Amino acid sequence: MQAMERKEERGRCATGIEGLDSILGGGIPASNLVLVTGGCGTGKTTLALEFLIRGAQKGEKGLLVSTVEAPEKMLAGIPRFDFFDDKLLQDGRLQLVEAGQLAEKTGPVSSEKERGIKMVEEIEKIVSFGGLKRVVIDSISSFIPELGDEAAEAEILKKISRALYAAKCTGIVISDRMDASENAVADGVVVMSNHERRGDLLRTIQVIKMKGTSHSRSKYVIDLTSCGVLITPLLKGGI
Amino acid sequence: MSEEIGDTIALKLEEVGPGVAVTFEIGMDSYFDVIRGLVDNFAPGKGLKSIYITSSVPSSTLLSAMEALEVNTKNIMFVDCISQLIGGNVVATENVVHVENPTMLENIILKVDFLARKLKEGGTLVIVDSISSFAIHNDVKILSEFLQVLLSGLKSRGAYPVMISIAGQTKPEVREMIGFLSDQVISLQGTH
Repeated sequence: MQAMERKEERGRCATGIEGLDSILGGGIPASNLVLVTGGCGTGKTTLALEFLIRGAQKGEKGLLVSTVEAPEKMLAGIPRFDFFDDKLLQDGRLQLVEAGQLAEKTGPVSSEKERGIKMVEEIEKIVSFGGLKRVVIDSISSFIPELGDEAAEAEILKKISRALYAAKCTGIVISDRMDASENAVADGVVVMSNHERRGDLLRTIQVIKMKGTSHSRSKYVIDLTSCGVLITPLLKGGI
Repeated sequence: MSEEIGDTIALKLEEVGPGVAVTFEIGMDSYFDVIRGLVDNFAPGKGLKSIYITSSVPSSTLLSAMEALEVNTKNIMFVDCISQLIGGNVVATENVVHVENPTMLENIILKVDFLARKLKEGGTLVIVDSISSFAIHNDVKILSEFLQVLLSGLKSRGAYPVMISIAGQTKPEVREMIGFLSDQVISLQGTH
């Protein structure tokens, strides 16, 4: 009974991406940390941005931590969503931070691992003070570029997971590699890839793991449009 | 131009109503009469916007033909699956989206979804032109899966899904598939 109550309290964080919410049975279990992984051009950033924007539209404040490029450039580089409104940025419902800005705040550190941990603490502060409900880190692979230590990366991911859970904030962390240690730490793993069929390249999405909900494990084809990320089942007849 | 075919199409679709998958089996000689019947005789009268999936004739050719027939093309959106394959005109416009080729079936479903979302309000007539030409590029197994997903989605949204099949250009197994997936198959051969 207690377990049921706890589950009900936790609720769902509807991504706002219709097809994905349907795959997940209503959305990401709230406060989960989801690893979205896949190669270049598979739509990871677009998916994560829609997650933030849809949330901000319904009053769930969101933060984008960009480690790859200036967040403004990142926004400019994706298909312009019809539903995006600049007011989300102006009134702070959507906040953009470059990882370099966080790194500057950490001060002198003895190791890259320590820098990573301090950067997570900075994110934690922003989330707690701002009452944020959604966070995206794009990408964890370049969060601490010189780390290269799987155990340390997993530890940092764990710290992010704990911090977001405590703040009742749902997170998406983007990675461009399928790493066993990262997958083990994350509550959810979503794989985005290119599926080749008779010379055609289709963008696909597949939820491999999502703690706290039953979900489809099938592969789906996606399209990145101005209406958002659209999803349909991968047809099996031609495989 | 046969007014009779246009009237027959409008009447048949009026009878069956939305959410019913209809296949019109037509002769090649009445191709443009059928198209006109759908997008000019039927759709405007019902206040419908048309999403026209073409895998046989490039959208630019269809648009030119429609304009020559004085059909109002303002409310017709195209999912053009053939122009890029044949190296034709692939400039996307507000009313035309392109899919690289007719084998990218999931992308066709997604483009129809995209256009339906862009249209927002009002009913939709969705035309698949043609099953015969899709069958040239795809085997029956995946084609039937594609049509089932597409048609189920359209039916649940209350759209008017219409498929065109060219008589004499459709293999027996494809005809069997059409019979299985359509709620009604209407032959317009000899309707002149």
